[in-house]
Amino acid sequence: MISRRMADRLWVSGLLLPAVLTVAYYFIYPMLVLGLTSLHSEAGLSIVHYTDILTKPRYRESLVDTIFLSVAVTLVTLAISTLLSMVLVRWEFPLKKLYQALITFPLSFPGVVVGFMIIILFGRTGVIPNVITQLTGKPMLQIAYTNWGLFLAYLYFSIPKVTMTMVGSVHKLDLRLEEAARSLGATPAVTFRRVVLPALSPALVSAGALCFATSMSAFGTAFTLAQNISVLPVLMYTEYTLSFQIEAASAMAITLGVITLLFNYAYRTIGERG
Amino acid sequence: MANKKRNLSGFMLLVGLLTVVVLFAGCETKPAESKQIVVYNSPPEWANWGEMLKKFGAKTGIQATPDNKNSGQTVTALIAEKAKPLADVAYLGITFGYEAANRDLLVGYKPSGFDEIPNELKDPEGRWMTIHYGAIAFIVNTDALGKTPVPKSWADLLKPEYKGKMAFLDPTSAAVGYSVAVAANLAMGGSLDNWEPGFKYFKRLEAQGVEHPKQTATPRVIKGEIPILIDADFNGYRPKIKENAPLQVVIPAEGSLKMPYVIGMVKGAPRPDAAKKLIDYVLSDEGQKIWAGGFVQPIRAGMVPPEVASQMLPASDYARTKTVDFLKMQQVQKSFTDRWQAEIVAK
Amino acid sequence: MRRWGAGRFLVLLVVILVSAFLIVPVFISIIGSFSGYWGLTMFEKGLTLRWYAYVWENYSHTIRYSVIIAAATVMIDILLGVPAAYALSKGRSRWFIGLEELLSVPVAIPGIAIALALIQTHNYLSGSWLFIVVGHVIFTMPLMLRAVTAALRTAKLTAMEEAAASLGASRSTRLMRVVIPNVRDAIVAGSLMVLTMSLGEFNLTFFLYTPLTMTMPVGLYESYASLRIEIGSAYTTLFLLFTLPLMALIQYLGSEKVEGQGF
Repeated sequence: MISRRMADRLWVSGLLLPAVLTVAYYFIYPMLVLGLTSLHSEAGLSIVHYTDILTKPRYRESLVDTIFLSVAVTLVTLAISTLLSMVLVRWEFPLKKLYQALITFPLSFPGVVVGFMIIILFGRTGVIPNVITQLTGKPMLQIAYTNWGLFLAYLYFSIPKVTMTMVGSVHKLDLRLEEAARSLGATPAVTFRRVVLPALSPALVSAGALCFATSMSAFGTAFTLAQNISVLPVLMYTEYTLSFQIEAASAMAITLGVITLLFNYAYRTIGERG
Repeated sequence: MANKKRNLSGFMLLVGLLTVVVLFAGCETKPAESKQIVVYNSPPEWANWGEMLKKFGAKTGIQATPDNKNSGQTVTALIAEKAKPLADVAYLGITFGYEAANRDLLVGYKPSGFDEIPNELKDPEGRWMTIHYGAIAFIVNTDALGKTPVPKSWADLLKPEYKGKMAFLDPTSAAVGYSVAVAANLAMGGSLDNWEPGFKYFKRLEAQGVEHPKQTATPRVIKGEIPILIDADFNGYRPKIKENAPLQVVIPAEGSLKMPYVIGMVKGAPRPDAAKKLIDYVLSDEGQKIWAGGFVQPIRAGMVPPEVASQMLPASDYARTKTVDFLKMQQVQKSFTDRWQAEIVAK
Repeated sequence: MRRWGAGRFLVLLVVILVSAFLIVPVFISIIGSFSGYWGLTMFEKGLTLRWYAYVWENYSHTIRYSVIIAAATVMIDILLGVPAAYALSKGRSRWFIGLEELLSVPVAIPGIAIALALIQTHNYLSGSWLFIVVGHVIFTMPLMLRAVTAALRTAKLTAMEEAAASLGASRSTRLMRVVIPNVRDAIVAGSLMVLTMSLGEFNLTFFLYTPLTMTMPVGLYESYASLRIEIGSAYTTLFLLFTLPLMALIQYLGSEKVEGQGF
């Protein structure tokens, strides 16, 4: 006779089994094999593919470019999103819900569509160059396929994401602190710098971590737009498909995975504490 | 309680509905196996493949799913799928034909007409064979250029008025892109062994801001989104003559390159009969004339009607297009790709 | 009414610019999809539906595959995730929390890495749309799991279940008749999110697709790379017709999950 507790335990395990088995067979096992491939070389197990990322000029340049782009995107996004989230929480205006729906709509776009939006704005027949041509006779800012275009595309998907992440934290701000500062004569700017920003700093760090992780691992956007800069996910694709370097590609995949895992973890733990 | 019951059955209904959708949709998507064929690298807007596959479908009842992979992506896909091939036929730039055969991705099949193909343009075992060729040319959208004159030479392209207006396909993955690089290098006085003049030119050209799409860009030059596309000549003729697109085809003054394209049956093709039929068809009289009608030079002699020839550039222009040792072109391809990645892309 | 100083105007300007940046191209794209010829102006050559006809003729199979894959992904997520969520909600021990973390890891891994891993271990699936479903399930199941677990933890289920048990209901009856109706809303919300993510998934799908199993995002990529901007716009508009209602529903139901989407 099984005790009731045992029966409960079996029941719980039974319910969990399908999900756990699926994740084990279709995720954990493949990721382990990915790791093994990344460590494979002619001389047996070796970390050469990881060191290559740091030593081979083309790989290192891609890593550096990707990090630089992601940092730049994160900083600019945090600035803009903080502003946007405060406006969303504190300002009242008609059709606010519609507005919020519209600016979060890009969250459902694949990266390729984000790239296309930048082509619509800044491509050869883009809105901005067309308007400029109408006004000045010369087309300018046809930058969709340049590094600036890529940067703007990354902003396009980061701003909605970080804004929605920060809205919750802005809600939780204690207005009394700001009112106290005001009553002591602080201008809005000073209040913002001295009261609001410090209160928001855990949220900023956590949202920044999420933004950085998303930027580092973005593939579709760069694949659609990038011509000169080779971000690490695209390099991984190129090495796998053009040069058949599956070991190098696997090492890059694992590297990206570790980075995004760490930063996602930071996003969740710092966010929860703040 | 009755409320909960109704909600539960509503929920069950939703689940049931989804199941029905999936099963129904799953059944519908597969036409009979024997009536399908997968041809890697058969963009409808390239070399008249659209019309070719349509006519082939009408004649044999075999429906092809067009595929936009370029030659490099095709070889990669074949390698990845080697254990379980998904494609039946592959269309490739000639250097990629050598590569695919080297990697044992193709299997020999000799259709009738095979003997008419020159030896240097086919694999002796029949694993791949040239079906048609073109020449590297500038395809210029005169509307998009407006008042700017049409460029006539490789040297012209370095002029400031063409800045930001040019494109050619990615030379590290597309056969035509690599051919453009080879052609430019030759025109600048280089050779397959000597890429110095070529790379000197590339650096100056790239400073003009050249776009490198990865896949067929014909519709974009027709539209004028790309004013100057350095590509295969046939892609310019077809829309110009058949669709009245505002295009001009120019063979650069310093010289250019002939570009053969090959077809091969995939080793382990899931539908070998369909594959053989397609290869037969593209080399048959009917098929070769379809290429000719699309202004693509058929490989077999005597297939080009005079009215087609008269609408293309004169023979004197084509005298400037050279051939090279295509096997050698394939052998130096990797070092070219590495050098392009290191010196051009990384900047 | 607060005074409008220079500071507030500056903020308003930034907000307007950023909002326009995000919203305007979507509308331009939709409008431009009807343009006869999109050059310096859009309607010199009138309106037309011929780009939509082109997309339908050449890419309708992508719509079908996107829908099948999304539907299958949601169903599998429900079948795997709901029982697991119920089991996980039963305890707060380290084991349970650890397990929940483990099952949620795929969300934090880039889709391209998961795809490269799947190619190396499950290549026998290649050529089938199930290959793509596997990938989609792996990274969407955590969303379903989280949505349902959260709902379960707040509902007063233990009391209800005890009551049902005391009336003689078996475990499975309790699951079907007490638990599931109460998390119906969470399952619906989770399903909407999973559908949206599956329809819009590109990175992982791009590594696993074949010409016979192409989804909309992959088709969209092809159209942006090769075809003219009017066709790209028409195709994008069709795609938005699928995701916009889903996003609107998600907003309406109040949840705005931001994790897990790769670009």
